[in-house]
Amino acid sequence: MTRVYLRWVPAAVVTAVITAGALAVPLQAGASVDLPDKTPQEVLELIGDSTKDSLSGTIEQTSNLGLPDLSAGGSAGGSAGGDEAASALELLTGDHTARVYVDGHDKKRVQVMDRMAERDLIINGYDVWLWDSKENTATHVAVPPHDKGDFPKPGDTPTPAELAEKFLEAVDPATEVTVDDDTEVAGRTAYDLVLTPRSSEDTLVGSVSIAVDSETGLPLRVQVTAQGETEPAFLLEFTELSLETPDADIFEFEPPPGATVKEKELPEHPSKDGKTDGDHDDFPGEVSGSGWDTVIELPAGSAPAELTESPMFAQATEAVDEGAVLSTTLLNILITDDGRVYVGSVPVERLQSAAAGG
Amino acid sequence: MLLALAAVPVLIAVAVRLSSSPPEPGRGPPFLDRVTQNGLFVSITALVVCIPLFLPLTVGVVAGDTIAGEANLGTLRYLLVVPAGRVRLLLVKFAGAAAFCLAATLTVVASGALIGAALFPVGPVTLLSGDTISVGESILRSLLVAGYVTVSLLGLSAIGLFISTLTVVPVGAMAATIVLSVVAQVLGALPQFEWLHPWLFSHYWLDFADLLRQPIAWTSFGDNALLQAGYAAVFGALAYGRFVTKDILS
Repeated sequence: MTRVYLRWVPAAVVTAVITAGALAVPLQAGASVDLPDKTPQEVLELIGDSTKDSLSGTIEQTSNLGLPDLSAGGSAGGSAGGDEAASALELLTGDHTARVYVDGHDKKRVQVMDRMAERDLIINGYDVWLWDSKENTATHVAVPPHDKGDFPKPGDTPTPAELAEKFLEAVDPATEVTVDDDTEVAGRTAYDLVLTPRSSEDTLVGSVSIAVDSETGLPLRVQVTAQGETEPAFLLEFTELSLETPDADIFEFEPPPGATVKEKELPEHPSKDGKTDGDHDDFPGEVSGSGWDTVIELPAGSAPAELTESPMFAQATEAVDEGAVLSTTLLNILITDDGRVYVGSVPVERLQSAAAGG
Repeated sequence: MLLALAAVPVLIAVAVRLSSSPPEPGRGPPFLDRVTQNGLFVSITALVVCIPLFLPLTVGVVAGDTIAGEANLGTLRYLLVVPAGRVRLLLVKFAGAAAFCLAATLTVVASGALIGAALFPVGPVTLLSGDTISVGESILRSLLVAGYVTVSLLGLSAIGLFISTLTVVPVGAMAATIVLSVVAQVLGALPQFEWLHPWLFSHYWLDFADLLRQPIAWTSFGDNALLQAGYAAVFGALAYGRFVTKDILS
């Protein structure tokens, strides 16, 4: 009888080996790294000194904002082009994998890899191409020479470097900057810079951590954790990174035959996040507060009626005295009954008082 | 069954050809709108249509029939009377199922390419990334895609083989295999089971589109091969355990 049981040994062994392997791989990835200690200041300088400007890699973005999944509904709706705001929102709130190629200052290509589709942003000198394989459209934006390097990039997934820069600008006395345990991202050793708001009552952001490559100073990972959460609400990280200069023909783009080609004038967009950059005078809203408890106010009529009247809106929001609140783990949005919009990484009460005050 | 599979691209191509207005971008199965511009897209569109149901269906029938079918016909005994060994029989049956996977995908791709070439213009192919490649390279990519889909179906074949050793009723084994493939895809569509998704054998089925990017994204190919190899190993070993301990009565 024992011989019968022996025949089942391979089945048991194979299953056990695979389970063990599946458990061991993530453990290995989290193996501890020990780098020479650095102060936050030195890590910041490491980022500032970073001269590495050609790379190719894969970036993964995970958002866990507690919002309904917009990507699933969006694709089923099949709205023919156009809805850029929705697509930008989807890029920001969904989970994505993108490949990034950078060669110097003026050659970039971002490929957002959707299932069975791809959205591309190609920047080659003064030519900017947006390509959407699902709609089969290519949009060409010619950048006037003097604007070089400062053109808006509608709806692309920011690279870790761009995101980190934004946060570092916000470093002010309201923020505690520390260096956490060394980590490993995309197979490279990295310092983990952690920014924590000094006051935990005024903001929903618990901490922002930026993993900085110990060799090149490239930010490799940005994660934003909400107040009182352990899992990051927003995560952007390199899963693969190569520092070799990518092939030049990656940046060459010709709209394929049969595709719809649109020419677009350089749009005069207000900066999408609306942060106080100073050079966007045409920004219609008002900004109050600074640092973590910034509240942005958009004037009446900013929320289109189609949006506020749709049944989805009522489902996603929560009614308060002033109007409706859309809560996410990182951001609260208050839309008043007369169409004013208040946005901030702050508790709802602060938005309400801002609305009452305005 | 191969004929039925070959009919799918023909049906798509004829339907697109006969319809008065070209399909709009972003509507219907992916790549459908490209078919009128380039006939070579027929095979890709047909694969997208076949992967969720038709291919698992035929593979389920073939894999479910492997052992149970012989048992049902009463020929299994005779096969084992010949000094061939049960392990060898199992391996040959699995190889047969794998060969069918390859034949099935190649049938879809080839008949799609032929009917596409017959009804629509053929020219350089636009990849997902917006780059264009020559016809020759696109045939190479089509074969790569066929290889990817074949590999994708190996896990299901191994499951079918195992189920087939459990019963002497081939229809039961076929149905169970097909039901499992449907269940896996339903689970894969539910966000509540997100933690389970990377473990489902159907998880990478539709990611063959990664081979249509420029440069090719090989990650999903590797992940898929690893996953399918895992399934083949586990269910192959289970089938071995069951088959060599089983009393063959018919």
